[in-house]
Amino acid sequence: MKSNYSIFWINLSFQFLFSLSITAQTDWVKWGKADYPYHINSPVQQRDYSFDMRNPGRFVIKSLANAYWFFISDVDGDNCSFSPTCSYFFIQSVEETNIFQGSLMFFDRFTRDMDIIGKPDHYPRVPDGHLYDPPSLYILDSNSINYISPSVVVKNE
Amino acid sequence: MKNSFFIFLIFSSIIFSQEKNYLVSENLFSPSNIKIFADFLFDQKDYLRAADEYERYLSFVPNDTIEFKIALTYSLMNNFNEAAKKFNVISKNSSFYKPAKIEFLKSIFQTGDIAEFRYKYSEGKVNKSYLDSSGMTSLYMYSFLLTGEPLPYEDEFIINFPASERQKIKNFYEWGKDPPYNSQLKAAIFSAVIPGLGKIYTNEYWDGIFAFIATLGTGYLSYDNFKAGHNLRGWIFGSLTVGFYGGNIYGSATAVQIFNAHIRFNFINDLKSYLEDKNYFLKIFN
Repeated sequence: MKSNYSIFWINLSFQFLFSLSITAQTDWVKWGKADYPYHINSPVQQRDYSFDMRNPGRFVIKSLANAYWFFISDVDGDNCSFSPTCSYFFIQSVEETNIFQGSLMFFDRFTRDMDIIGKPDHYPRVPDGHLYDPPSLYILDSNSINYISPSVVVKNE
Repeated sequence: MKNSFFIFLIFSSIIFSQEKNYLVSENLFSPSNIKIFADFLFDQKDYLRAADEYERYLSFVPNDTIEFKIALTYSLMNNFNEAAKKFNVISKNSSFYKPAKIEFLKSIFQTGDIAEFRYKYSEGKVNKSYLDSSGMTSLYMYSFLLTGEPLPYEDEFIINFPASERQKIKNFYEWGKDPPYNSQLKAAIFSAVIPGLGKIYTNEYWDGIFAFIATLGTGYLSYDNFKAGHNLRGWIFGSLTVGFYGGNIYGSATAVQIFNAHIRFNFINDLKSYLEDKNYFLKIFN
């Protein structure tokens, strides 16, 4: 009777230890290198460096922007205070209008970007703190202007 | 001392003990208790839960007062689409029918769908004299100010508002008739004459100053390089000068559009806050 009792406990202990050892983490898993993505997605990584082949004008503009991003902007870091950045603004402006109007819009944006005094309180911000200033406000179509107070944080760009 | 403490404890326990019968006989979820609880939540401005409790009460006892109150809770939660639906289903036989129709129109107005509001107003399911006495005609007229459409004649417009409000309404009317917008052409000409002046005209003082510095700065560098025989640099800076100059003229015109949009934005906000202060010119339901 006593021996049966011991066998029962031995059996139970064996099953317990067996299941533990089967499901236990190995040291390799426990202490090994984990591939978690800790980096923050920056605008640089979201850039589209492809060439725009729709027409020669767009090809030239996009190539200039790619070169600027690759050789200057990516090295310099995320320093433009606007969203979209000046280079994106230029591309979007040309896409929404034409090369001539887009260039004028870009020069105007560039001048406004120089204004380090009045700028911070003049535009609404996006959640990451950049100043929200889309090209749709500057295409000379009053219907496309959706005025947003500078006190507002724009969530859906 | 010990005995007297125990006697006091037992005595007070008996005195303050709950009656068992009371607990058993009272149904906390009876319709009348649900209504009391819903009213309490409504008073506490917990409108979402109040609406749920009123709906629960309504499943036991059909009651038009409660239907009206449910619609009112949605209105107070600024859920105007839902409020309009709830006000609209109140039966024609109910004593709340007319107030519900007025609140229905008000809710549609509050959704911002002015075209729908006007259509429903003109549909005239309720007789017009009742709408007139409720103040709905004032709201109908006021809607013209909000949409920026051509306004009716001043006399025809202002007569629809209470006498005490007519001066204020007249000011709004005059603004709506001739908004104090800036001219794009003027801004562009100003910037063509003196770079940056068009921006200053739209109150963008620092943008104007920086545009002036950028245009004149690159212009000077171009001149200086040409003078020194550095033609390539002269052309580069010259191109930038043309870009800044043209961009500033263009930018002044667009700045006027944004300036005007800002003015209109403030005007609409003033109109809305005035309308809320006056309860949309409608009677207040208590």
